[in-house]
Amino acid sequence: MTAGGDIPHRPRLDGQPLGVCGGWASRQRKKNVSHEQTDVKYLRPKFRGKSSERSWLCVILKNKICDYFRKLGRETCFTDLEFLEDELSHKFVSQGFWNHETGPLEWKPEAEVVMHRAEFWETFRDCLAKLPQRVADVFMLREMEEMETPRICEALNISPNNLWVMLHRARMALRECLEMNWFKEPQQEGHL
Amino acid sequence: MSGEYNPSPEGNPSFLARRNRFQTALVRFIGKRTPKCREVVRILSQSMDSKLSLTMRIKLRLHYLICAWCQRYQKQLHELRKIASSVPDQVDEFSQDTLSSTAKERMKEALRENRRE
Repeated sequence: MTAGGDIPHRPRLDGQPLGVCGGWASRQRKKNVSHEQTDVKYLRPKFRGKSSERSWLCVILKNKICDYFRKLGRETCFTDLEFLEDELSHKFVSQGFWNHETGPLEWKPEAEVVMHRAEFWETFRDCLAKLPQRVADVFMLREMEEMETPRICEALNISPNNLWVMLHRARMALRECLEMNWFKEPQQEGHL
Repeated sequence: MSGEYNPSPEGNPSFLARRNRFQTALVRFIGKRTPKCREVVRILSQSMDSKLSLTMRIKLRLHYLICAWCQRYQKQLHELRKIASSVPDQVDEFSQDTLSSTAKERMKEALRENRRE
């Protein structure tokens, strides 16, 4: 760290809390700004410059997220396991195979192609918003933050089994929602 | 095939369908020895978080031969991961709900002060 020089990552700092945990951050961000300030001030002397300042700030924020969920886990009861309890059973015939009329469609154009489109992200955010809060949180921590499952279990105070169930249902619901609201609509293809 | 469900009706896009006697035998053989689709989708979600056993991975490979739907599901779970992990970059671009400028200023000011200390 060179004294007096501008912090190289500063422009990204403002965006970072958003990136750390999408929806969660947007709800908590304002509340946390003052805490972040305090922490940054408080922890600054401990920072030895071994990692970049940006990653150091990220670690602080991630730990804050964990603390937040740990607290939440103790405070709320766990009804989110009821979400999508039947796991779309109507899409399967009684023998457990996909019903061929309603099985997964091919996604065309592929996700990679549509990922630069703002409308796609709107659809994705709408789908994410349909999940119960806790289920969405679990999904975001796993897939956006790429947090390891044992760490999520610890942070949210849930059993590995419950976590797997919630992740499975979140993925199933999101896949379904994206298919219904984006990939199924033929007019999207012409817009590229 | 008395009452047995046919996992491979006409028009099945899977690699193996009941197109002839040989394929029919194979489809039935694989259908009996691999998990059913409902179970497969659960296993596929687990495979996104932990490594499956070799036996299970072989079973899934075999299952894909008779089930294009599960194969698509697997592919789409990976796409979903790719989508989700790209969100943070996109959120800044598209979100209207960003930090207020006063909040940004306060954070910057705090950092600046901190540097002076």
